[in-house]
Amino acid sequence: MERVCVIGAGSTKYGKLQDSITDIAVQASVDAIESAGIEPKEIQAGYISNVFGIADKQVHLGPVIMSNLGIPEVPSLSIESACGSGSVSFREAYANVAAGFYDAVLATGVEKVTHTGTEWTTTYFSYCSDFFYEGGAGASFPGLFASIARAYLAEFKATEEDLALVAVKNHDNGLLNPKAHLRKKITVDDVMKSAVVASPLKLYDCCPFSDGASAVIICNEKFAKAHTKNYIQVIGSGRGGSPAALQGREHLTTIPSTKIAAQAAYKMAGLTPKDIDFAEVHDCFTIAELVDTEDLGFFEKGKAVDAVRQGMTKLNGAIPINPSGGLKSKGHPIGATGIGQIAEVFDQLTGKAGERTVKDAKIGLTHNFGATGASCAVHIFKSV
Amino acid sequence: MQAARFTYSKVYNLAAKEEFISTVKSGKILAHKCTKCGYLHLATTYFCQNCGNKGFENALIEGKGTVATYTIITVPPAGYEKYAPYAWVVMKLDGANLRISGFMQNIKSPADLPLGTKAKIAGYDERGILIEKL
Repeated sequence: MERVCVIGAGSTKYGKLQDSITDIAVQASVDAIESAGIEPKEIQAGYISNVFGIADKQVHLGPVIMSNLGIPEVPSLSIESACGSGSVSFREAYANVAAGFYDAVLATGVEKVTHTGTEWTTTYFSYCSDFFYEGGAGASFPGLFASIARAYLAEFKATEEDLALVAVKNHDNGLLNPKAHLRKKITVDDVMKSAVVASPLKLYDCCPFSDGASAVIICNEKFAKAHTKNYIQVIGSGRGGSPAALQGREHLTTIPSTKIAAQAAYKMAGLTPKDIDFAEVHDCFTIAELVDTEDLGFFEKGKAVDAVRQGMTKLNGAIPINPSGGLKSKGHPIGATGIGQIAEVFDQLTGKAGERTVKDAKIGLTHNFGATGASCAVHIFKSV
Repeated sequence: MQAARFTYSKVYNLAAKEEFISTVKSGKILAHKCTKCGYLHLATTYFCQNCGNKGFENALIEGKGTVATYTIITVPPAGYEKYAPYAWVVMKLDGANLRISGFMQNIKSPADLPLGTKAKIAGYDERGILIEKL
């Protein structure tokens, strides 16, 4: 297998954007190409992650993006894996470069949904669940994670205020990220007083619906060295699955796909959770970050609450989690999120993260899943 | 209902889903029990999750159990506005390592539904599988 590297990354701002889905996808792609210092014609394939292109009247995004980049002859593939689309797409790009099919490829993730409004997004996002049992019985995504939250709070004697601490921490990080959607300092009290969306989760426990696009350039080591000194290497890649419906899981407070993906990624990298300097994890709801950081092995089961109370996951803590602000504050354009996490790790490990830089970081991990973790991908990167 | 042995060719026409819904309407859960290892699945599963076997026999389970977890939805998806607030519940079935989820009406606050509350399958309609408190 070829060693695989990321040599460039770009993102639009996340939030309510006016430009079309195609325009924002192209903007992020151009940023990534310029960040890598390559010519578009050096790109041999495109991997495009998106879920609801239909909302902005553009599916089959790949050829449209490639045409706008002046490389209509380059093949592309569109990938949908719910909120995990970006990392799943990255994995396919990674695998094809590792296998030697391509020297350099573009992976772009994009979503444009905020113009549709809350009812449309709540309804269409519910189609990402096991619909017969969940969305088709009135469950929204906040509702599904609220069900995980209720089980977690009961099992581990945690409180809704503990969940709020995750939101407060991620908003603090997002304040330092110029591209974040929700750049606003909040308090535990603000979270507790926000409207209930799906008990026990309140509005400020939930990530926003966001528009946005992120892109990265993935290549083999030879190509990387020929173009730049400032790049990162992919040292672990793992994927996993879980029963699609929550009812299929014997334990409601763990997400099996995360554990499977993480084990595979750690094994490939020859590392343990203790070796990770920081992580971007899938905090679509505050409860998810607690569950994720336990399933990734940073904390024992039920102990993420203590870690958050003690500030261990803050930017200056023992294991900073979501220095970008995470899905909660940076935002969650679902097709772009997984790529955006990798763009954050690229920025962190190549000295481009500004005020939110994790001190002395050499190894970063990304964790991104679809739906309630029915599909998951974990990647580990190191600076060179 | 007679317990019948399923083979792959029989379930391939998706009859299992219709049969599953009809048993839900009678307050019961149609499960697939693996003929090789005995592992229980809801009847919407076609291969054994435990051993990969494709032979199942039907097991009809009483649709009663306890509330394992739930949420109360106040911001509903389209079509559910007129029912809100309502609960979406994961129920652990009595006497089996199986859970089933569904819609529960008339739950307005967590005080209405402590975890562990006894509940039962109450039918199936445009709201999906219906669960109610016993």
